Amino acid sequence: MSSRRAPRVHGLMTRGYADDLRLFGSGKAKLGLLALVLAYLMLPFFLTSDFWLSVLDYAGIAAIGALGLNLLTGYTGQVSLGHAFFIGLGAYAAAQLGGPDALNLPLPLWLLGAAVFGALVGALIGPFALRLRGNYLAIVTLGLIFLGEHLFRNLKDVTGGNSGTNVDTTATLGGLDFKDLALLGENFSFNQGYFWLIWGLVGLVALLVKNLVRTRPGRALQAVRDRDVAAEVVGVQLGRYKVGAFAVSSGLAALAGALLGSYQQFVSPDEFSLFLSIQYIAIIIVGGVGTVFGSIVGALVLGGLPGLIDKYSASIPGVSTGSGDSGFISVFSLNQAIFGLLIVLFLVFEPRGLAAVWLRVKAYFKAWPFSY
Amino acid sequence: MGGVTGEVAPLAGAGHERPGPSEPALLEVTDLGLRFGGVKALDGVTFDVRRGELFAVIGPNGAGKTSIFNCINGVYRPQRGTIALEGTDLTKKGPAEIAGLGVSRTFQNLGLFENLSVVDNLMLGRHHLMRTGFLAGMVWWGRAKREEIEHREAVERVIELLELEPFRRQPAGKLPYGVQKRLELGRAIAMEPKLLLLDEPVAGMNLEESEDMARHILDVRDRLNLAMILVEHQMALVMDLADRVMAMDFGVPITVGTPEQVQGDQRVIDAYLGAAA
Repeated sequence: MSSRRAPRVHGLMTRGYADDLRLFGSGKAKLGLLALVLAYLMLPFFLTSDFWLSVLDYAGIAAIGALGLNLLTGYTGQVSLGHAFFIGLGAYAAAQLGGPDALNLPLPLWLLGAAVFGALVGALIGPFALRLRGNYLAIVTLGLIFLGEHLFRNLKDVTGGNSGTNVDTTATLGGLDFKDLALLGENFSFNQGYFWLIWGLVGLVALLVKNLVRTRPGRALQAVRDRDVAAEVVGVQLGRYKVGAFAVSSGLAALAGALLGSYQQFVSPDEFSLFLSIQYIAIIIVGGVGTVFGSIVGALVLGGLPGLIDKYSASIPGVSTGSGDSGFISVFSLNQAIFGLLIVLFLVFEPRGLAAVWLRVKAYFKAWPFSY
Repeated sequence: MGGVTGEVAPLAGAGHERPGPSEPALLEVTDLGLRFGGVKALDGVTFDVRRGELFAVIGPNGAGKTSIFNCINGVYRPQRGTIALEGTDLTKKGPAEIAGLGVSRTFQNLGLFENLSVVDNLMLGRHHLMRTGFLAGMVWWGRAKREEIEHREAVERVIELLELEPFRRQPAGKLPYGVQKRLELGRAIAMEPKLLLLDEPVAGMNLEESEDMARHILDVRDRLNLAMILVEHQMALVMDLADRVMAMDFGVPITVGTPEQVQGDQRVIDAYLGAAA
């Protein structure tokens, strides 16, 4: 290529492979990125409602976990019902690594430590679980949930047993305490600080996963999903890549769990049930299986849903909000029913999720106002 | 590493000559035997293939042609015999390892990664030539980016050779059948193999598509100088392209020779048409 760069004739033109491989190549994509970054930075200045911030914080945590599950299920084609187990592992790991009563590690270290711990456990379990495919794998990973619940309830020294444990982690990074943030002469609440922490990590993890799936290892995962015999014949070692995907997926689940524990400041074994796993499956199906974008959109739509239902349960007819209250369905059952319904509706009407809807919209406006 | 990334020989007048018998064999298959329970799929199969040679295997349905391929690239494990590629025995190795040693193949019923684009399918052909692991891939800057660009260039050469330019970004599963077959050939040669196994490359194609494919196969042979084994039912194509032909029936080789010899062999005619009582 000559040293002088050729002029760009139109926004979609690329000059060479490096240009072609840029994540945010076109002008529109750069603008979109800028808008997202600005929204991320500015939002806590305008949004002070603890309720809405907590909805966003939970959604961000779910986005990180969903990115992990999408890597395993969406990109590698291995259905796992055990995601909640690894989220639990991460939450308890954070309790052990981060608090002043525990190892008292700084923020980056307990986050990384929890993620690495989850990945290691995943890498240990993977070789056994991934000998099976499809429904059999789903059943084995379902077993992980019950194994996990048993461990969380009975290893009382580490987990606090049935009554759970406090997760009192530090959350300071370079002089910024996300729990009690003072910035530009303003004080920010716990929820505002955690919004920056959580969604900053969402951005980082999304970038890492996107890079993974567009390079050699990620392509190998998708090859395993699409046709495993052909993948082996082009030189992809099936076992190695399946276990690798399982480990990375578990690591991200544990990272989400560590954030969850730190955000709630408390975890109990009841949280890491089969329902949580199914919630994550619903997120990736609604958002878009096999897309990074879909994991985040799905988490935004569904991750905040339990909180919303809880808040507005009193005004939804037929929902009982407490014992003795009339109504035919409890808040918890309503949650389950909605997640189930969404899975079914999306599988029937839009199996590729909201990400596909977005792509259609984008394709329509690409040549707008011309129809083709 | 010559092949696709190296200097490309001029197409016109490359003048393929049949490799002489003095040339050492690239692949030596000796006394191969494969059983599924009581069924003998292959029995006493012996042949060799030289560098630059196009070796065809013909025979009626169920003769064991595809089974030979599955043994060579490690999908099946034969009970008897050896398969030596440049002296290395392949019978104890798995498919991924054999791919790394320089054997690539296409499938009779297509083995494309349907949700991935044409470029990604071809890049997967480069998988065993690349090194980026999980961590380097996530980081992107450094090795991953360098390798992506370097191998994308090699992939572009394959795209050019097989005239796949209009389809770069399209998912493989959405392509017309003939293009899918061509893409699979592309993925196989993107691997820069020493030995290429083609399983019915023109099955289900019309005359025009078949002739295109034949032209591409000759192109590949002349430019890349690799050994090919071709399994095909389309006799005219086999007789036009092959340097040598092996005819099989019920897992046993009947004869090996030049197309003319095999065509005239009474045993081959009997196998296809049934022997007169």
